[in-house]
Amino acid sequence: MSDYTLLGKDFTPPDVTGKVTGKAKYAEDFKVDGMVYARMYTSPMAHGRVTRIDTSKAETMDGVIGVLTAEDIPEVEAPNAAILTNSPAYIGDPILAVAAETEQIAEDAMAAIEIEIEPLPFVTDPLDSLLEGGANAREEGNVYARSREGSGFREIKWSQEQIDEFRAGKEPTGEFVSEWGYGELEQGFADADLVFEEPFVTIGYAHMSMEPRTAMAYWENGKCYVHGSAQSQSFWIPGLARMLGVEMKDVCLISENTGGGFGSKIGAYPIAALPGYFSRKINRPVQLRVTREQEYYMGSARVGFQGWIKMGFAADGKITASDVFIVEDIGPNATGGDASSAGGAISLVYDPTAMRFRGLPVLTNTTPRGAQRGPGQNQIAAVMAPIMDKAAKQLDIDPVEIRKINSTNNDTIVYADRSPVTSAYMNEALDQGAEMFDWETRKTQPKRNGNKVRGLGIGQGYHSAGATGFDGLIRITPDGRLHVHSGIGNLGTYSYATTSRAAAEVLKVSEDSMQIHRGSTDNHLPWSSYQAGSVTIFAHTRTNYVAAMDALDKMKRIAADTMGGAPEDYDIDGQRVFLIDNPAQGMSYGAIAARAIQLGGEYSGDSYPEDIHEITQRAVQNLAGTGLVGVAKDNLHQEGVIPGLAVAFCEIELDLETGKYDILDYVGIAECGTVMHPKGLAQQMKGGAVWGFGMAKSERHVYDPQNGLPANVGYYQCGIPSYLDVPSVTRTDAVNIADPQNPFGARGIGEPAMGCSVAALQSAISDALDGHIFGRSPITPDMVVNHVMGRDQSYKPLQTNNF
Amino acid sequence: MNPQLSRRRFIKAVIASSVAAASTSGVHNALAQDRSRGAVERLISLNVNGQTRRVDVAPHETLAHTLRYKLGLTGTKIGCNRGECGACTVIIDGITNYSCSTLTHSVRTRAVRTVEGLQAADGTLHPVQQAFIDELSPQCGFCTPGQVMSAVAFLEENASPTREEARQAMAGNLCRCGAYDHYLNGIMRASGQNS
Amino acid sequence: MASFDVMPEVQLYQPVELGDALNLADELGEDGWLLGGGQDTYGWLKDRAKSPRAMIDLNGIEALHGIRETDDGIEIGAATILRDIIRDKRINRDYSLLAQAANRVASPQIRNVGTLGGNLIQDTRCWYYRRGLDCYRAGGNICYAGGPEAMNREHAVFGASRCVAVSPSDTATALVALEATMVAASISGTRTISADDFFVGPDTHIEQMTSLEPGEILAAVRIPAKWAGQRFYFEKVADRDVWDFALVSIAAAMSMDDDTVADCRLVCGGVACTPHRLTNVERAARGQSLGEESAEALAPLASEGAKPLNYNHFKLPLMENLVRRAMRG
Repeated sequence: MSDYTLLGKDFTPPDVTGKVTGKAKYAEDFKVDGMVYARMYTSPMAHGRVTRIDTSKAETMDGVIGVLTAEDIPEVEAPNAAILTNSPAYIGDPILAVAAETEQIAEDAMAAIEIEIEPLPFVTDPLDSLLEGGANAREEGNVYARSREGSGFREIKWSQEQIDEFRAGKEPTGEFVSEWGYGELEQGFADADLVFEEPFVTIGYAHMSMEPRTAMAYWENGKCYVHGSAQSQSFWIPGLARMLGVEMKDVCLISENTGGGFGSKIGAYPIAALPGYFSRKINRPVQLRVTREQEYYMGSARVGFQGWIKMGFAADGKITASDVFIVEDIGPNATGGDASSAGGAISLVYDPTAMRFRGLPVLTNTTPRGAQRGPGQNQIAAVMAPIMDKAAKQLDIDPVEIRKINSTNNDTIVYADRSPVTSAYMNEALDQGAEMFDWETRKTQPKRNGNKVRGLGIGQGYHSAGATGFDGLIRITPDGRLHVHSGIGNLGTYSYATTSRAAAEVLKVSEDSMQIHRGSTDNHLPWSSYQAGSVTIFAHTRTNYVAAMDALDKMKRIAADTMGGAPEDYDIDGQRVFLIDNPAQGMSYGAIAARAIQLGGEYSGDSYPEDIHEITQRAVQNLAGTGLVGVAKDNLHQEGVIPGLAVAFCEIELDLETGKYDILDYVGIAECGTVMHPKGLAQQMKGGAVWGFGMAKSERHVYDPQNGLPANVGYYQCGIPSYLDVPSVTRTDAVNIADPQNPFGARGIGEPAMGCSVAALQSAISDALDGHIFGRSPITPDMVVNHVMGRDQSYKPLQTNNF
Repeated sequence: MNPQLSRRRFIKAVIASSVAAASTSGVHNALAQDRSRGAVERLISLNVNGQTRRVDVAPHETLAHTLRYKLGLTGTKIGCNRGECGACTVIIDGITNYSCSTLTHSVRTRAVRTVEGLQAADGTLHPVQQAFIDELSPQCGFCTPGQVMSAVAFLEENASPTREEARQAMAGNLCRCGAYDHYLNGIMRASGQNS
Repeated sequence: MASFDVMPEVQLYQPVELGDALNLADELGEDGWLLGGGQDTYGWLKDRAKSPRAMIDLNGIEALHGIRETDDGIEIGAATILRDIIRDKRINRDYSLLAQAANRVASPQIRNVGTLGGNLIQDTRCWYYRRGLDCYRAGGNICYAGGPEAMNREHAVFGASRCVAVSPSDTATALVALEATMVAASISGTRTISADDFFVGPDTHIEQMTSLEPGEILAAVRIPAKWAGQRFYFEKVADRDVWDFALVSIAAAMSMDDDTVADCRLVCGGVACTPHRLTNVERAARGQSLGEESAEALAPLASEGAKPLNYNHFKLPLMENLVRRAMRG
């Protein structure tokens, strides 16, 4: 347990008040003089070629300022997504934009534009594209392959027989593009006492953050100011500059608050650059308010899986071999990656003695895909939980026990390269969860009550939860205050604030004397990590630690220089630097800062380490001479995989007659090293649980294969859990054992918080239905009813993007 | 159905619907005699957060539009503009409504409250706002103003609710971050009960 | 698709006299749009999928509001807000079926503004139709939802005729079960229509869901005393318990003679273009006592004659199960 003053304690993040008063500003809340409104015309066709655009009628309408088309924007090479395109590859692909004095005029103008699009073949289910004779989602091919020889689009087709066998749950024999593994796979299966195979489908679905990705931009003295909905702050700048064709110094991103991202706003996305281009063309500030429907189209979505897995278990429950094959639905322009991450998660969470991963990313004319909370790890978490239960049942081992037998600990080596982990305490998490949930008692209780049946589930979540090499930047000003500059971004995890407190902890600065600078590039922000991938807690407690240590070192040197003795003769407390042997002799932080300004050089930021990022360098240059500057790149030791782990236990009551199920109890245990912010951690664990429920219960893409139309472009159709779809109370706790590779013992948690939830719910549903494995997410009431009543399901085996 | 045929039909449909929309975007002028039958005037007075605001409102304008773009009250968020998320929730005569799906002209004679109208004159936060801070209820915060308004209206009607009553009452407000548990904690705290 | 989002130019009338509203409705004909709570209006208009010239806001008309006692039951003004119906003491005492159904409509905020009339005459949620495609219902000559590959999980298993859309209204099922009568007003007077005849399927009129004629306004709903205080059962199965429309719902009214069913009306929502009477079940149920045995015997009758589409055959067992629950007692 920690004995920190600030870390590990609850606090009120500085931005939370603005959120409850309505003062917090999101991208669309900013308006500037002369601003005009842009609307987008997006493709009505799943795949096509624009042959004619006639905007003449629209352009003569009163109040219409201009039109932006793909001709106005430099071409990018696929698979990079274009800002505007004449080769739409999904319904909703942006083709042009109109700017007008009001949104209503812009929409009136939009209705007056004539566009002709030549239709091209399209496909919404990867297996339909893989089948010989099936359509390719792009003219370049139907698969994206990454290899050492060069990455790119390819065409891969399987025979009808190969597709049929795959659909029938047999090992796929068709061509694939990626493979990795370790150990002796055949030997592993030979050593197994229990071997079984399972097909699986996880349908992709939209992120649907509450705030649509509105953007506004204007130019001032050659610099582009962009108000955007960004998951990261500094991390956006290189991409935004590249898309706008300017240097990084000529872009300023203002993103004080972001209404959710979940992976869909990590780096600058193409639409964020549209207002910049439009503004340059018509010389007016331009705001592009993205609608909910457009947010569905271009707001990114989770990759869907269609797969096959073969598992071998020894009689004692140990997994001897795991062989997984995943076709991933990567939409029209992604390159894949979720599938391999899923393979990695099998390796890390279940530690099979031998394993093999094979993957095939297939393009479809559905919405673009990107990272979504636990990309890959969480899909496979949903798949694996009922499989572990099946093995437990057949081997007569307790479901908690079989997970412990295969769990990750400090000595586990993972992935194909057999990396160590920084630390891992899955067993401790399972024990803690089982106790809090009272697993031993509950598992003996009767299941059936009339038409209701109870099910117990256990889930495990994992995501790598750290990053290194980013920069820390802090200042102490002559008024004695500590200024922490953070370019993380603000999604509402409050990690920008939590990690900033690490600097205050090191420098023993009180909460009241600390100020955080963030939200706009012009606030001189360092090169910070993306606020994603569960990395910020690990990455930025480290950057703020190294920056604070740099400041501490400088303060002691200034003290020694001013008051005599050696730097190591000095210590800090109460925002003073003092002589250890004579604490009365010292200088306040304010005095030290004033002295730093006099001394100049590295003390005040006039010089800085060479290895810091260009963005940090510019921030330091702008801050030079305003105080004592602590700045450093995180070069702290780091080796091995940094696991964020979580487990969940849940109990459901499933109504056999309606197919509906209620979650009666849910316990989530975080294993993320030392807890840095208890309430923030609880928020992540509970919010992650809701995400898991959504994935398990109701969220999925639906496309009509006949015309490529998506069925669920709005909020109510997407099946996002409401208050009534989740338990009123979710219980969470944490293992709280320090990780040795973080100065404060911390690791991240955002993504495993969801993985354990979707897994636990899938596990509980299987338990309620006597071990039946749907091999599918989500599991909707119609599926349960069909199963219980002994009817066929409506979907073909392995069919995806369907109801 | 022949997929080729249906696709062609579909494309025709899209283009046709586009043209249809264009042809009906002309302005319809109200005749003077219409006034007596209820045709609306544009310049109206609104009672928002206890203040009377004179504002030019088109007949078809939504309250969310008026609040955000004419009165500068951007605390009311537009998450879907279709009554499917609750981010735009405001209180009208004591009852919660989706302002994205309310015509401004329908609230002419009624009292509208938005998140900006909750703080006391001295800046003291409304108990719901304070409780949401204390329970760290918001995550991204985009749905928060709507959650606040639903909670305020609910507690004005039911000062000591059960957690289940609160959950039912809040059901029309979506939170994509999944912060429901913390919002319910906030409501129970604001009502003076332990969560 | 331009994905329109803001309200386009539409004229608005806010009459306070029913006569003015009727005159406007008559003059505007199909260019007029009757406005109740508006929750099924603004989406259509914002999407520019429907383009009326003017909206006639009925909320200011006193005569269309309120819950009144009549010689034979009650009369509810069509502009009465669902919230008021849910909270009305008399309705909860005598016709709780309606209160229960109304309480499962959409979300609290929508129930706070949605009117009974609006809930009854709202348009279908067929997602193809809602996209503004030129289907039969939109005046075209194709159905996108009926094919074997179409995504038709939410569509009809009864009464399809070219169009396979379903009635989305929760209160409609309850009012059909309660043998309600609809009062339609127009400049030429009022007429009453039984709830059974009020809702029409595509074989009767493929472009509208009710038998209201252009220029007619639904003024009130009358519920006869016949079913007051009888045994009721309502259940709605939807994916989510807020916002979502019924996959299948059931509204049942039963008068009992001791332990046996003297008379009953059972109506399913979400299975046909209209509230769907389970007449087979009703016939067979009369004289039966409630319980597991009769529930088992009656349930299979519910889906007799159903013609499921590929993605919605689950509605058959679901209907049967809901009948089981209604008849178990």
